[in-house]
Order: sequence, then structure tokens, then C-alpha cells
Amino acid sequence: MFKNYIKIAWRSLKKQPFFTFLNTFGLAIGMAGALLIALYIYDEMSYDKMFADANSIHRIHADIKFGGDAREFAVTPAPMAEALKNDFSEIELVTRFRTRGSALVRKADDQANVKEEQTTFVDASFFEMFGLELLAGDVKTALKNPNTLVLTKTAAEKHFEIGNAVGQNLVLNNEETYTVVGVIDDFPQNSFLRDHSVFESMEGNGDAKEINWGSNNYQTFIKLIPTVNAADIQEQLRGFLGKYVIPGVQQYMPGITEEQLKKSGSYLVYSTMPLTDIHLKSHRVAEISANNDIQSIYILSFIAVFLIVLASVNFMNLSTAHSLKRAKEVGVRKTLGSNKIDLVRQFLVESGLISFLSLLLALIFAVIALPFFNTLANKDVSIPFTSPVFWVTLLGSVVILGLFSGSYPAFFMSRFMPIKVLKGGGGSSVGGGTIRNSLVVFQFAISVFLIVSTLVVYQQLKYIQGKDLGFSKDQVLIINDVYTAGDKVTSFKEQVKQLGFVKDATLSSFFPTPSSRSDSTFSPEEGGTDQENAVSMQTWAVDYDYVSTMDFELVAGRDFDKNFGNDSTTIIVNEAAVRIMKLSPKEAIGKRYTPGFDSNNPEYFTIIGVVKDFHIASLKEDIDAVSLHLGDRAYALAVKIQPGDFTNAIARIEGVWNTIVPGEPFDYYFMEDAFNNTYQSERRLGNIFIIFTVLSLLIACLGLFGLAAFNAEKRIKEIGVRKVLGASVSQISMRLTIDFLKLVGIAILISLPLGWYVMNKWLEDFTYRINIPWWVFLLAAFLAVLISVLTVSYQSIKAAIVNPVKSLRSE
Amino acid sequence: MLLQLNNIFKWVQQGGQRIFLLKDVNLEVEEGEFISIMGPSGSGKSTLLNVIGMLDTFNEGEYEFLSESVHTLKEKYRSNLYKEYIGFVFQSYHLLDELTVEENLEMPLLYKKVKGSERKALVADMLDRFNIVGKKDLFPTQLSGGQQQLVGVARALIGKPKLILADEPTGNLNSQQSEEIMQLFQKLNKEDGVTIIQVTHSEKNAEYGSRIINLLDGRKI
Ligand SMILES: Nc1ncnc2c1ncn2[C@@H]1O[C@H](COP(=O)(O)OP(=O)(O)O)[C@@H](O)[C@H]1O
Ligand SMILES: [Mg+2]
Repeated sequence: MFKNYIKIAWRSLKKQPFFTFLNTFGLAIGMAGALLIALYIYDEMSYDKMFADANSIHRIHADIKFGGDAREFAVTPAPMAEALKNDFSEIELVTRFRTRGSALVRKADDQANVKEEQTTFVDASFFEMFGLELLAGDVKTALKNPNTLVLTKTAAEKHFEIGNAVGQNLVLNNEETYTVVGVIDDFPQNSFLRDHSVFESMEGNGDAKEINWGSNNYQTFIKLIPTVNAADIQEQLRGFLGKYVIPGVQQYMPGITEEQLKKSGSYLVYSTMPLTDIHLKSHRVAEISANNDIQSIYILSFIAVFLIVLASVNFMNLSTAHSLKRAKEVGVRKTLGSNKIDLVRQFLVESGLISFLSLLLALIFAVIALPFFNTLANKDVSIPFTSPVFWVTLLGSVVILGLFSGSYPAFFMSRFMPIKVLKGGGGSSVGGGTIRNSLVVFQFAISVFLIVSTLVVYQQLKYIQGKDLGFSKDQVLIINDVYTAGDKVTSFKEQVKQLGFVKDATLSSFFPTPSSRSDSTFSPEEGGTDQENAVSMQTWAVDYDYVSTMDFELVAGRDFDKNFGNDSTTIIVNEAAVRIMKLSPKEAIGKRYTPGFDSNNPEYFTIIGVVKDFHIASLKEDIDAVSLHLGDRAYALAVKIQPGDFTNAIARIEGVWNTIVPGEPFDYYFMEDAFNNTYQSERRLGNIFIIFTVLSLLIACLGLFGLAAFNAEKRIKEIGVRKVLGASVSQISMRLTIDFLKLVGIAILISLPLGWYVMNKWLEDFTYRINIPWWVFLLAAFLAVLISVLTVSYQSIKAAIVNPVKSLRSE
Repeated sequence: MLLQLNNIFKWVQQGGQRIFLLKDVNLEVEEGEFISIMGPSGSGKSTLLNVIGMLDTFNEGEYEFLSESVHTLKEKYRSNLYKEYIGFVFQSYHLLDELTVEENLEMPLLYKKVKGSERKALVADMLDRFNIVGKKDLFPTQLSGGQQQLVGVARALIGKPKLILADEPTGNLNSQQSEEIMQLFQKLNKEDGVTIIQVTHSEKNAEYGSRIINLLDGRKI
């Protein structure tokens, strides 16, 4: 019997190529989209699970509010590690990272440097913590001595063969000499250490041994013994505030107690997060690598489910519409002795066959779309064709999808009464129209909702890009690592300024980009160290040309000026800082503030200028308070260039660089790019929305197209009669089209308020956001109507121009 | 007694009025009878046949098929009756278009869960008997109307039914084809003892049968 089902199914699909195509194509699109999303999500969920004991590894976090602003840190104080080891029997191992950013690396006897993007100090327990094996070197002694380091395979191969790496000397940043004691494998792309290539022994980092609970710079990981839950250690961990931190603070603020701290609204809460949660759930200050947002995983899962449901709804709709044609068959079969179950089985085999065909097509689509998807999602996922689990999952899902999509049509059709359908009226009496119509409404409601969402995401992105950020982000080129020029860095700056196309240039380590962070807490001269008056500000060391190069606008006071001899103890702050000080810009001028808590020997800085607010982080966040002071240790040179031939300009600047320090890497980026990168995830979301909006519209249109075709066919006799009675082609096609437009209209009425509500929720994430303009809704509605008219009218007109003699003769 | 209808009424409600399709119909059919139902168009012949075939329901009266009361039957049991006892022949043949002649014949046997080898033998037998062996791999649309109706009758017969119900089986056929089908019916009735009830407009066709029932406005006359 089953063989018979398949045979019949195959033949009836072949007999109706148009219907089979619509159904297969629609399902395949949905499946391909969902498959790609599933691969993406699978990859996102796999982060850091490759480490041997990943499940028992946790990171210590600190939520701190102290003097005004609250922050959530991924880093904790250096002595945290020792305290954890001493106080907790539950903790088996502790490892700290002290990240150092990029470093220039060369062999001791080489001239040319190679840049490594991420380097870090790390404790020797590193290997045991993460279950790492050495490709070369001895894991027992590695990183136990100062000035030793371990490299990843790729980093090592830039200098020597893996076999003779151990024992070689490397120079970092032209000043520190390290001995290579080991080589490890590269970290996989889905690990938090993916960008790290150089690991220096923590022993050489003096700061790591100091008992300073006041500064948070260390990523601290713990491994729990197998029987312990992270929940078990939280309370004792929170106790660290009273046990270690308060006594430390009392050195500066004698007599302060935990209660006083709490009463003033301040807090410090230590907690832990599982290593495997970090990638999707942690958004803290000083993350070790960029994380994703679980939110985007939810959105994507939603979209995947949407796509599958849309495609499946399409299938149901087309199949039940199509069943009008199959009604006779059902009637005949019943008189031949078939019962309902037989018929249900047969139709399910048919839908199973269609979903299987769709799967094949979907795999082809997915293979074709994968490179684009990877670019879009900034990923490198592949389809695991060789994995049995993949195939089992895939085939399992296809069977479930086939059963799910086939069930409604199957039960719908098997209910047909033979008497009704055999009487000759065909299927016009079989009903199911209300459900079909609701399904069309459902599909279009989703499509219109997605159109609204896409438009809103893009409007918001446009708003962000056009927003006055308080500084000139155009045409500012930032040249990294200029400190390698040593004393000659000023002459590099002066020579660059001589170039005709250069408007201005400034040396600093900090720019209005998200990576520029250096917090200090300042206390005013009047008011003392009372925490109420403390101001937490970014403290950026800059030079005399900074304000002019960045195009900051002064709202009060003056810029740093060489003609004033004593500007070394002055600061310029932004409006955000002044607001926290509860002063107006004018009042702020001349006020004196001191960084740190050392009340015995305060060093005061006088505010000489206030600049307009500028954004340094994503527009999702409030503007930070920033203070600028003159300093000379600078990592980068920012050059403001006249619009024109940038390639040539960069080449000329590189030429200057090479005459001053031949052989040192010339590494640059545009400030605008750094800014735009902040919105990568929003942009990606926008792109994903566009693509899936188009896909869902496509699926909805396929369904509508099919329905229109069947509808026209069903009414072919009526149309013939009307024509004989004198109706015109346009009257008839209007009539057919308007029936569908009513459905689209209902869909619009449902989805517009929904879109308005959901997208307003999304916008709430942004401190600076648009009001959704009314035309977004108008445009979405218009697009939906336009697309459906185009889809339906083809069928309507086709039906309307048929010669009535033909349609009336049939039957 | 094969079946018995007592005081069957069937009506539809139209604009608050009852329109009677069958009025007080009484009928007893013995095994081995060959009955022709006649009457003008719209007199209720098809309706009556459908009621007998349990394709349609009735509003009042009693119907016993093989001493079982029909209106208490569940759909599942009814499909069993079709499988075991009743074969239908339709005016417009109603063959399954996507199946070949051979597969059309095989269909009722599949539903009866007859074993493969036996199925093959029965189908071959039937093809032979109806002289359509050469057509077995053709699809219905490739056959003439007469040939299609031959297949239709063969399909109705293959399950060895006690009763064949035929609604104007020759309505779409020319006179020579009609005669062929009627002779076939007669032979089945005489030689195999199959009970046949047919609806027909033709006096000539009716003469093949053993009894004629005349209907007018849903009433037996
Ligand atoms: N479901 C129904 N609703 C209303 N009238 C019906 C229905 N079925 C049949 N009729 C009417 O009942 C009468 C008898 O129909 P039918 O049995 O098909 O006649 P015959 O087969 O004798 O030509 C006809 O007038 C037909 O229009
Ligand atoms: Mg009739």
C-alpha cells in the first residue's frame, strides 16, 4: 500500500507541475532560510564549549556604582585571584588575563616588526584551566618565569619553524625582550580567545602582585570542583566587599563603612558568569573579545520560525485550494472502499514527498546563498554535509514539516462527502474558504509587519549616521603605533602637517571612538572627597592641536594654548562632565578638581574650557563625561585631511613615516569606520530584516499567485457566463482582484499597530532615536497592496480574457 | 432479502418550505434481481440510487441492508460495506486519471487488503474477461468513452460485490457501446447472480432487467 501511495503521489505531483512548483519552491525558500539561520544560531551557541571543562569554568564580574555612575565590569582587581584561592575550597583553579591590546613583535636579531592584534599577560594556570596542550615546549614549566611567552601556531610561524621556536627571543614593542617557552594551537573562531596570539607570563607584570582593590583590570576565571554549583559561592563572593575592598578604601577615606557606602547609593557586587554564557549574555566594560547579543539570536530564531510557518501555511493554502480538483478523486476512492485513514495517509505521503523535494531544492539554495549569508552575518559557517547528526536532524525536520503542513489539507480533504463531489458540482461546494482566507491574511500581516520593521531599522540607522556627533568624523585618518618612532614622533607630526592636503594633526591615545576608555574619579577642591561630589570622567591625554583637529566646539573658556605657560595643570571638559558637576559651563571655568582619593597630597587641575558634547560610544548610550589634559605619551596620530584623493594622501603620509622610521609597520584607519563599526550589529539586523522581508513577501506572493489561479479556475464558468452577458474584461478582472485586496486590507489593519508597538520597543534601546514617521506605515501598506495587485491581476486578467465558448463547453 | 426500504422520505428545506426529493418510497430487493429505475429528469432517480448506495442520507423511514439498519452505521463501517458488497458504476465513469487501467482495477483490492499475488491474478482475470488486456498500461484519458465504462464496470466487479449500482451507465455512450454494457450486465446477473440496480432513460435498456421501478416527483408509481 505504501508503495502505491508513493506512486500515486508522484504521479499527481507530476500531473500538476504548476501547483507542485509553487508548493516546492515556497517550502524550499522557507527551509533554506531557516537552515541558514539554524546554522548561524548553532555556531553562536557553540562559543567556548570546546574547552575541556567549559561547564565548570566561570568568570568573576563586578557591578560597581561609585560616585555618580554605575558600570558593569568584566574585570576585577588583581588580588581577587589570590583571595579566591585562599577563601574558597570549592575553587580548583584561578587564571587571570591582563590584556594589553596590540603589540609589535620582532625577533631579537631582526629589524622588521610584525603586528599582533591582541596580546595579554596570563597566569601559568592558563593551560590547565582551558585544557590546552603545547605543540612545542613543556607545559609544566611554561609561563612560570617573568619575560617568557607562549605564541599561537600562526603567530609563531611568522618568525620561525614551530620545532625551533622554544628558547628563541622576541622583542615586543621595541623594548621588552621575551623568551618563547611554548607554542599552542590557534584558538577556534568560536572561542573568546580567537583574536589572541601572544600570551606573556603574568610573573613579569608587577602590577599583578600589588594588593590594590581599587582598580579593575583583570579578567579572572575560576574552575569549580565538579560537585559545586556557581550559585553556592555567590554569597561568600559578595562578602569580598566588606572583607577586602572596604579596608582598602579606608586608606583614603578613613572611617568609611559599608553601610555609609550603601546609604549614599553606591554599591559593589561581585558575581560569576559561566564561560559558555559570555558570548551571548555578557555586555560589560572591558570584554576580552566582541560578544553577540542573545537578543539577536531570539530575533533570528523568530524569523526562522516565521519563515517555516509562512511556507507551511502556503503549503496548506495551496493544497486545500488545489483539493477542489482532487475532490472527485476522493469521492471515487471512498466508493471503492477507502476509509478516511487511508486517504489521510495518502495525502500525507504526498506532502511528505513535496517537503522532501523542497529539501533538495532548499539545500541547493542554501549552498548558493551561503557565501552571501556569511558576509552578511560576518561569519564563516559551512553546511556540515558529512555529519550524520545533521542529516538525521534535517530528515527528521522534513518529516515533521511534511506531516505538519500536510495534516490540515489531508483531514480537510478526507472529509469530503462522495455524494457532494460526485454530483458534478466539482469542488465548488467543498468549503474551507474561510480558513484559506485567514491564512492569506496571516501571511500578509507578517509581511507588512516585516516591511514596517525594515523601514524603521533603516530610518534609525540613517538618523545615527546623519546625527551631529559633536566632532568631525569625516576625513580624519588615524595612524596607529606612532610611538615606535620614539623621540622622532613630534617631527613626524610636524612633517605631516607640512603636507599641502593636511589641515591639522594631533597626537593622542584617545579619540571619540568606542575603544577609547580610561576612567578616573575626580573630586572637587570645594566639597572635598565626599562621594556625593565625585565625578567619574574619561581622562584623555592630548596635545595642543587636539580640539582643533577634532573640530570640538568650545562653549565656554578657551583651548589649550602654548602662550600660557602653565597649561600642564589645566583640563578641558565636555558639557556632560559639567552637568554631573551641577554647574553651568561658565561657572565651571576656573573650578579645580583632583583625580583619585589621595586627600593628603592632592594635585589639582583647573578647568579652562568646556566643549560641546560629543558621542564616543554607540548612540544607544548616554554621552560620557570626558576631560582632556596635556600629555605626551601618545599611541596614535590623527590627521585631518582635505577631501580629495585619499589613496594618494595615505601614500604620501606613509612616505613620510618610512623616511623617519624605516621598517616599522604603517597601520591606519579612518575614524568614520571605527564609528560605523559601532553600528555593525544594527546594520546587520537591518540587512537581515531586508532579506527575510523579501523572502517572506516572496512566499506570500507565491501563495497568493497560486490561490488566484485556482480561484480563477473555480469561477471560470461564472466568468464565461458574465462575459456572454456583456461584462468587460476589466470589470471581471477587477472583481477577481478586489476579493483578494480585501484580505490584504485586513492584514494591513492587523499588522500596522503591531509593527508600531514592537518597533517602538526596539527603539527604546537607543538614547537617541527617531519617532516613527507616519509615512512608514503608508509605504508599507502601499507596497503590500501594490505587490498583491501585481500578483493577482495576472491571474485575473488571464481568466477574464478567456473565450467564454471554451469555458462554457468544458464540463 | 438483500435490502429493504420502508417509507423513506427525503427532503430539503428551501425558503421555509420542505421540498420532497423522495416521498414514502418502499422497496424490497432480493438477491439476484436486475432492477431498472426509470422516470423523467428530476424525478429523484439518482437520489434514490444514492440512498440505496448509502452515499446520501434520508430524513425519515427505515433502510435495512443485509438485515442491518443503515442509519445507525458509522462511516468506517459503511466503507467496509462498499469494500465487501457494493460496486458503483457512474455515468461519467469516474476513473482515477492518474492511474493506468490496470492500477484502477487494482485499487478496490488494495483497500480490501488482498495479497499481492492474488491481486495480480484477479486483475489479469478481469482484463481478460473484458478483453482489455492490450489497454492495461493506458491511462483513462487515452481510452474512448465505451472503453472507459468497460473499465468502470470491471472495477466495480473486481471486489466480487453482491450489488452493483449504476447511474445511467450508458448515458454518455453510443447505442452499440450501450448494448455491449447491457449484455455484460445481463450476463453478470444471470451467470454470477450479481444483483444490479440501474438508473436508465432508455426503454430498451430497461428491458434487460427483471423489474422496473417508475418514479415521478420522488414518488413510486
Ligand atoms: N441537495 C439538493 N438540494 C436541493 N434540491 C436537490 C438536491 N439534490 C437533488 N435535488 C433536486 O431533486 C430532484 C431530483 O434529483 P435527481 O435525483 O438528481 O433526479 P434525476 O436523477 O431523476 O434526474 C431534482 O429536481 C434536483 O434538482
Ligand atoms: Mg440523475
